[in-house]
Amino acid sequence: MPVKRRLLLLLAPALLAAGCASFPDRETIRAGGEDAIAHAYPGMPPALVARSSQDASQKLCSKAPEDKLTAEEARQIVESARASIKYPPSGKLVGDWKIGAQLVANGAGQRVRDGRVEKTRENGALCANCHALDAKEVNAGNLGPSLMGYGAKRGTSDAVVKHTYEKIYNAWLYFPCSNMPRLGASGFLTPEQITHLVAYLVDPQSPVNRN
Amino acid sequence: MRARSVALALMLIASPLGAQGDVDGLSIGRQMLAEDNPGELWVQRGERLFYEKRGPRGVSLERCDLGLGPGKLEGAFAQLPRYFSDTNSVQDLESRLLTCMVGLQGFKREEIVANRFGTLDKDSDMEALVSFIASKSNGMKMNVPLAHPKEREVYKIGEYLFYRRSGPLDFSCATCHSDEAKRIRLQDLPNMTDPKQVQTVVSTGWPAYRGTQASVRTMQHRLYDCNWQMRLPDLGYASDMSIALTSYLNHRGNGGVIQLPGVRR
Amino acid sequence: MSEPMRIRATVQGDVADVRILMRHPMETGQRKDAKGEIVPVHFIQNVVVTHNGRTVVDAQWSQAVSRDPFLGLRVKGAKAGDKIAVTWTDNKGDKRTDEATIVAAS
Repeated sequence: MPVKRRLLLLLAPALLAAGCASFPDRETIRAGGEDAIAHAYPGMPPALVARSSQDASQKLCSKAPEDKLTAEEARQIVESARASIKYPPSGKLVGDWKIGAQLVANGAGQRVRDGRVEKTRENGALCANCHALDAKEVNAGNLGPSLMGYGAKRGTSDAVVKHTYEKIYNAWLYFPCSNMPRLGASGFLTPEQITHLVAYLVDPQSPVNRN
Repeated sequence: MRARSVALALMLIASPLGAQGDVDGLSIGRQMLAEDNPGELWVQRGERLFYEKRGPRGVSLERCDLGLGPGKLEGAFAQLPRYFSDTNSVQDLESRLLTCMVGLQGFKREEIVANRFGTLDKDSDMEALVSFIASKSNGMKMNVPLAHPKEREVYKIGEYLFYRRSGPLDFSCATCHSDEAKRIRLQDLPNMTDPKQVQTVVSTGWPAYRGTQASVRTMQHRLYDCNWQMRLPDLGYASDMSIALTSYLNHRGNGGVIQLPGVRR
Repeated sequence: MSEPMRIRATVQGDVADVRILMRHPMETGQRKDAKGEIVPVHFIQNVVVTHNGRTVVDAQWSQAVSRDPFLGLRVKGAKAGDKIAVTWTDNKGDKRTDEATIVAAS
């Protein structure tokens, strides 16, 4: 065997002993990380600190990129998402697109400063932070796909409306570990608010489909 | 040279390129600001604060060891965070300054923490000190060690935290910072999984004069502000979580040539 | 006591490039503080720049100028070793003068 390789094999134990290239094992890292989280928010109200606890789906979705989600894990997330879906009592999934238009541009709600949640009339839907919607609105993000012409492209059938409602309510139902927040399932948005967003996306009169 | 930059900036802003063109115009504007960075005013105040005899014990910070020996500032920023045997822990620049201001000068930790972020009504000493000390590494490359077992552990914890989803919006750092050419509204997001961009952010990004804050802000503030956006509570100043994330990012920024303070929106 | 200005003055040929950073809140009188009360106007009203004692700039500013203002100018007939002095006066009557020596551009 080549000299260099023999040398490396001889030195390997010494190198390992010196801790030359070793990192702690997975469980040590996980425990250390959770310990850091447990001490990350000193003096904060317990209800707010609780926001840093993970539910089962979040835990599965916290892998590093090289660590792929298994089919079984994806199934669990989808099942959990399906169970979370709540519809508005009226059963009507399409609300008022004009209210939806205000919500998509509203990026406020639930942010914490000095241990206090910001005072807002309601939580914004944050849509424009990540999505292009109204072609006339330049100030839109691109973390999510463009939704311009959403209704025009898909139509307004019951199936489309239901899918849209469910996607906004819990995006992980259709894409486990999506970057998109599970806005309805977390309670960030109410079912009623989501119906206005659905309307904003599907209504032919909405700027999304008119512009 | 300046007249030409202005003309170029106006051209880009006026062009019908849509969002992308406006973003390029913004970075040119930032470049122009960087030539006369208000952050320099924090550097000069930080220099005074470092050498002034202060606190209940009436001593300066000249005996503060930032990793290269007491009072040795050139290159100190470049090798932080790192392990310190006297505290048996990995510390970033701000937690180390806390150690010195409390241990050497006799300040109360709570007082410094209360003043960690300057407001429009009151400057922060910490922001000035960080600006000054960071500037003493200008021209050098980021060179954060991963030699001590604790440095390795903290680095890996930082990586774990980077990908950890939590909060009412299911955000992790990776949600916004792991893909190419993404932006929130019109605010560009650095891709912190791209080594080149990490280098840029870590070596020229923080501390930086932030126009919207009218103050120099540091890495601790950046992480605090991210937590705010993520709907998490106020991130503890110099907490283990903040040091772990800083350690993970700064080490991955190794090789980046330091030019600080930066200037940002 | 106010924060010293940062003045850089470099000369190439006989033209000096002078760059001044000032630390000042430049309050417009429209901002509300954390308690919801208006923060009163507080801004630099006058800036005088002299070259070897001779006034080269006498500027009247309003609250429209941003916080921590920057002033850049060029002075003809300058050489290394000349003195640049900058004085600002604000609406509260506070005043500050800082000086710098012109150096040759590198």
